[in-house]
Amino acid sequence: MRLLSLLTTALLVGLSAATSSAGNSVLVVLEPKLSREQFSIFFDGLESKGYDLTFRAPKDEKPVILEDDIPAFSHVIFFAPTTKNFASDITPQSIITLLENRVNVLIALSPSTTPLTSLAAEFSLILPPPNTPLISHFPSRPHPPTTLAITPHNGPNAPILSKNLGPVLFKGISHAYGENPRLVSILKAPKESFASDTESDRGSESIADAVEKGGEGLWAGGSMGVVSGFQTVSGARVTWVGGVDVFGDEFANAEALEGVKSGNEQFSKDVAAWTFQESLVLRIANTSHHLLGENYPRDHYTTKDEIVYSIDIERFDAKTSTWKPYSGITDLQLEYTMLDPHIRTALPPIKGAPGHYSVTFRAPDRHGVFKFVVDYKRKGWTHLHSAIVVPLVPPRHDGYPRFLSSAWPYYAGAISTSIGFVIFSALWLGGDVREKGKGKGKKAE
Amino acid sequence: MPDAIPLPRVAPETVANTTSLLRIIALSLISGAAIASRLFAVINFESIIHEFDPWFNYRATRVLAAKGFYEFWNWFDPTAWYPLGRVVGGTIYPGLMATSGVIYNILHGLNLPVDIRNVCVLLAPGFSALTAWATYMFTKELKDASAGLIAASFIGIAPGYISRSVAGSYDNEAIAIFLLMFTFFTWIKALKLGSAFFGTIAAVFYFYMVAAWGGYVFITNMIPLHALVLLLMGRYTNRLYVAYSSWYAVGTLSSMQVPFVGFQPVRTSEHMAALGVFGLLQLVAFSDLVRSHVGSKQFRTLLRVALVASGILGGAVIVLLTLKGWIAPWTGRFYSLWDTEYAKKYIPIIASVSEHQPTAWPSFFMDLHVLITIFPAGVILCFKELRDEHVFVIIYAVMASYFAGVMVRLMLTLTPVVCVAAAIATSTLFDTYLDVHEPEDPSAENSVPVVTVSGESHVGGTNVTVTTPAPAPTPSKKAKKAQAQAAAPASSIASTIAEATGTAGVTTRQDRGVFGLGSRLVVVALWVYMLLFFVVHSTWVTSNAYSSPSVVLSSRNPDGSQHIIDDFREAYYWLRQNTPEDAVVMSWWDYGYQIAGMADRPTMVDNNTWNNTHIATVGKAMASSEEVAYPILRKHDVSYVLVIFGSLIGYSGDDINKFLWMIRIAQGIWPDEVSEPSFFTPRGEYKVDEQASPAMKNSVMYKTSYYRFAELYGGNQPQDRVRNQNLPMKGPTLDYLEEAFTSENWIVRIYAVKGDDELGRDLKVANSFNEGKKRKRGRPLVRRRAVAAV
Repeated sequence: MRLLSLLTTALLVGLSAATSSAGNSVLVVLEPKLSREQFSIFFDGLESKGYDLTFRAPKDEKPVILEDDIPAFSHVIFFAPTTKNFASDITPQSIITLLENRVNVLIALSPSTTPLTSLAAEFSLILPPPNTPLISHFPSRPHPPTTLAITPHNGPNAPILSKNLGPVLFKGISHAYGENPRLVSILKAPKESFASDTESDRGSESIADAVEKGGEGLWAGGSMGVVSGFQTVSGARVTWVGGVDVFGDEFANAEALEGVKSGNEQFSKDVAAWTFQESLVLRIANTSHHLLGENYPRDHYTTKDEIVYSIDIERFDAKTSTWKPYSGITDLQLEYTMLDPHIRTALPPIKGAPGHYSVTFRAPDRHGVFKFVVDYKRKGWTHLHSAIVVPLVPPRHDGYPRFLSSAWPYYAGAISTSIGFVIFSALWLGGDVREKGKGKGKKAE
Repeated sequence: MPDAIPLPRVAPETVANTTSLLRIIALSLISGAAIASRLFAVINFESIIHEFDPWFNYRATRVLAAKGFYEFWNWFDPTAWYPLGRVVGGTIYPGLMATSGVIYNILHGLNLPVDIRNVCVLLAPGFSALTAWATYMFTKELKDASAGLIAASFIGIAPGYISRSVAGSYDNEAIAIFLLMFTFFTWIKALKLGSAFFGTIAAVFYFYMVAAWGGYVFITNMIPLHALVLLLMGRYTNRLYVAYSSWYAVGTLSSMQVPFVGFQPVRTSEHMAALGVFGLLQLVAFSDLVRSHVGSKQFRTLLRVALVASGILGGAVIVLLTLKGWIAPWTGRFYSLWDTEYAKKYIPIIASVSEHQPTAWPSFFMDLHVLITIFPAGVILCFKELRDEHVFVIIYAVMASYFAGVMVRLMLTLTPVVCVAAAIATSTLFDTYLDVHEPEDPSAENSVPVVTVSGESHVGGTNVTVTTPAPAPTPSKKAKKAQAQAAAPASSIASTIAEATGTAGVTTRQDRGVFGLGSRLVVVALWVYMLLFFVVHSTWVTSNAYSSPSVVLSSRNPDGSQHIIDDFREAYYWLRQNTPEDAVVMSWWDYGYQIAGMADRPTMVDNNTWNNTHIATVGKAMASSEEVAYPILRKHDVSYVLVIFGSLIGYSGDDINKFLWMIRIAQGIWPDEVSEPSFFTPRGEYKVDEQASPAMKNSVMYKTSYYRFAELYGGNQPQDRVRNQNLPMKGPTLDYLEEAFTSENWIVRIYAVKGDDELGRDLKVANSFNEGKKRKRGRPLVRRRAVAAV
């Protein structure tokens, strides 16, 4: 909560100068039906934060989003929800290439089928059949049934949005979630909502029937999403929005319910801030490992060594555009892994050292090529992953204890045999001489 | 006594001096021939380390030379058996590397900047010269110096030994055969003299052998067996006691200093025979002592009973300890020596090695040529004399013959004894036929009974000491014993054999003889011709069969010129120069050492097959479909998969031919997931064409082998030249791997393992998306089943 308020204040205060951690150039693919003026609050807000917006129509050849697989912009906004044909450089495949190059993408959908709706399936989003917008008849509000006032659920599971956000006006389609764990829900559909091709209640029976028979499925209820984020393997962020109007001036200025102002302006800012890597952005500044009592890393450790592992984590501060040490993670874990984790331990923040997490542990009594693995994946936050390979070797030949108390019987045996041998040799040799001496003596006698 | 040809009169000292000079010259020439014949590999190809295991030895030697002995001892290799790693210092026989390291340091101490690689390449030929010398010494103890020289020349060029010791074949066997022969020589010397000094020298060389080769167990069991047989023959002497006790005590204690051996000499069954015989000898010696001091017959009986009882008790203790697990039972490799089917049934990893297969008969001739035919004659000649050392050779011959029949690689241990026995036979033949003395009276007299001359050796002489039927013409046998002994060409090997096998005797009339100069020359010339032919054969085999480095292949162009196929090094250097240093390469274990040595990349498994499960993991990854294999590959951080593919140029040692072993080994660990029968066609054939079974066609091995192979034929029928089958027109596709490199002749194919998909999708799905295929429309997942209508 403290974090959230921090973030909110950061966003509110830093409206003037803040930039993204990933770059400032934004390409807006705006379809001709829409105009920039319809979204002036949203776009002006972005510009005032320092983003360079470039606009192009879906069918324009220039500027290209990818040139020789090198992206030309840091972020791309697709406000082309009804466009069926794009220029040749915009294909579902090229959008994936954008993501691989860590370009963040914001995509708006609509009830009509476009190349982008087919792309949604790759993100494990399951869209309803064409032309079935989300509808809700409750609660009563000064809007048609296709325009919903959705109250965002703030909480630890949805840290992307600001606290105390008013109801968000939404018009568009919902989507069901597949099984991809990289999805993060930003705004969910209200419980009473459902996807339907008609506003009247006449078709409701047939919809229910279709579901009962296991036909097309039912896009209804609170488990559907309307705005969802996705973090890719390389760290790029994608946000899917069910309708482009969420960002529009009209909704931003409208009342969501009777006497309640809509939260759309702040909502679109929050969504853009998350998508463009302003909020909830973490990075690993440094990792290190060393023996307890030393402070340089070894190229290998010995079994049963006491090893200190530490990691420094920074968080991007959009207000000042800087990375600042971040000690707020309480559930960070370190795994000491060879095939399977041999040790899994908490990696707590160290008091007095901001952003510093450290743990001391004893290496297992098992040699092999081990990895220090930190794998921190939380919804909405940047995924942190670090793996350092360091072999764990058995003790050197002189690294074992020299004398063992349990081996005393053997020492005693060896020592007594040695002494016995010396005494025997002495007696044997000496005795021989004496005999000769005696013999001589006898002879002498 | 008349001579066949007049002999010049020379003073005995001159003869002795000349003989020793000639002996030295002969030995030097033999050494030269031994070394020179092993250089074919360097001349035909280049100074390169051969095959598989030598690459590891070479790599280890480089570490030893660069970092010193202590670092080598503590060397933990994190790049082998990734991610388990290998404690190299504690799992190798360091003798070979230490030897090269010492030679390298000495040469550098003399300011001879020799590359460590050349030391390694030329170590085996160098030691083969020493082997020839050791064999000379050994045979000399059995018969005489001339037999020794013949044995030395045999072992110098016998293909059975050359196969493991050509230049570049930098393996443990390269020095081990020398150590084997020298240990045996010192053992026999110790036994002959009853000398603790020679016993200790035998122990020191035994220690060197233990440090050098796992085959030391052969010595560990041969010497006790010899001692036991002597005991049973009633030949117990104090000499035996001294020789054996000094060898065993010093040898065992020192062998335990080798980290890899450790406490095995007192903990494993392979070493129990030596310990048991040691104990038995103490008992026998004790009883001998008591017997010499106590007269009472009753007491002797009591003593005997006590001895037997304690012997039984000792045996029972050993059995009990084995059952309790204090003494490790025989390892699988040893069981497979008794039951050739054992390995195939229970330990496919041992059976999968071609050199562990039973020997085919032609290879006996190939490796030993004419020697194998006179080998029995030599053994029988040993029976004729049957001194302690001859018993040793007989036991050695029997054991080694058996083992060589069971395992191809043990042909190596048979070769020395064959050379020794053949040399005894040859030398006897020459002694007999080249002796210029003739019987005094050539007149025929047929009624003479056979007189058997017992074989007392003539010290210093070159006389044959075989049992000799007296030449018929001699009228008074007993008076002319000595002459009869020397002059009996008639009793050539045939009759000695007859006698030794028991058919000879008084009833046979030995009245024939070949005394004519011409006849003698014919026999000798024939035999010399055979020996010359042996030389020709050895040279041919060495140059054609045993000198290929197998890293570099060669073929003949149509015009007869040599064409070098260098795909292995091409691919390994590609890996070395184009991949990150920590990129793990997965291949079948055969290529592990080569990848580590030439590509310098971590490998999952290698030729040190210590972890069957890890190898089975690789087998499973190769034998499963891509979907199953991919998680395995990712879990082990594998970046590249390397397969050997011979179908293009007909290289038959490729992975598809080894594939069945991978399946079997994987099946041993995961019988539910991998099953051998599913890789055969319904008719039980191993096919790679259209009729190949689905499991075969979906396996990673099949896919990586034949990926894009059909494209090479441009629409024509693609053909597999190794298995002579027509391949499907449409080759396999890959989703989780992508081709990274294919060598010039397609022998080595390297595939990169794809990373996670950008969106976390299954790679198969991602691939069909990239190809633009439409996905089926989804439906919301049913998270809760609706309650059925009430």
